Amino acid sequence: MQSEKLQRRIDAYLAELRRSLGELPESEVQEILREIRSHILDRAEASGELTEERLVAILKALGRPDEIAPMYQVDAVVAKARASLSPRVVMRGIQRWSMVSVWGFVLFVTGVVGYAVGFALILGGIGKIIAPHQVGAEVGPHAIFDIGINNDPSARDVLGWWLVPVGLAGGTALVVATTRVLRWTLRFARIRRPTERRAPA
Amino acid sequence: MAATRDPEGPDNWERQVKKGWLELAILAILWNDKFYGLEILRRLEKDTDLVLAEGTIYLILARLKAEGLVDTKWVEAESGHPRKYYWLTAAGRRRAVAMARYASGFLSSINTLIQPLLEKEEK
Repeated sequence: MQSEKLQRRIDAYLAELRRSLGELPESEVQEILREIRSHILDRAEASGELTEERLVAILKALGRPDEIAPMYQVDAVVAKARASLSPRVVMRGIQRWSMVSVWGFVLFVTGVVGYAVGFALILGGIGKIIAPHQVGAEVGPHAIFDIGINNDPSARDVLGWWLVPVGLAGGTALVVATTRVLRWTLRFARIRRPTERRAPA
Repeated sequence: MAATRDPEGPDNWERQVKKGWLELAILAILWNDKFYGLEILRRLEKDTDLVLAEGTIYLILARLKAEGLVDTKWVEAESGHPRKYYWLTAAGRRRAVAMARYASGFLSSINTLIQPLLEKEEK
């Protein structure tokens, strides 16, 4: 009776750990879970009879799953980004990569610019709907092509109402394109931590 | 972008430092012999105070395996449940030596740097 309850407790811990490790390759997850189960049993044997109190102490020493699992997986963040459509998740993956490689950093900058311009276009399109007289795409002596609120009387609103479709469609297209390009390049990201760099012989 | 929550959770400098040294400590423990996870852990706990959450060790070992630095085998034990043994591969031995050299040089230069701080403490 008692041991069944303890068994359930161990299973619950491992299930939670599995969730936290979810983005690692399945075979690796299986191995880690099997090994940690073995660890728990070993620790339990060392202490004679396994009591609930003892089990709690063993699990506590192992650490909370959500605390130990993310510590060693740059690859998981990257893997998640690779499958995501959310700019936030994709950029987080790129940011991880940018910390270990110059390419990652270049892409990080590309992502920042791509998303910033994309969202600015969308904002411009929305702004034109809300405040048509203040917002426009200006070309003038002080602006090559400025989307936003115009304070410069000499500037000309070149797009007029076209800013709405151009901003919304163009901005969305740019955001989607940026996401696609970043995700595609993430396939070439070093998946492992920077320690994978070849050690000097 | 900097405001995105870091998935590593609340960091402190101590955890960061330990994380870096753990890998070298594990490679050093495996230098002469094969051990299973809990044995490695016991040695770490005896000789160092690097271990914070014990479960971390198994994730580091899994990664060392994925990087080809260690090899493993499940071995049936008398206790009834199998244990996973680890040993260094040739690449692991090269990595261990490289890391040890780096660590040794690093430690001596840091030691020189922090000497004034320690002297101040003694006064």
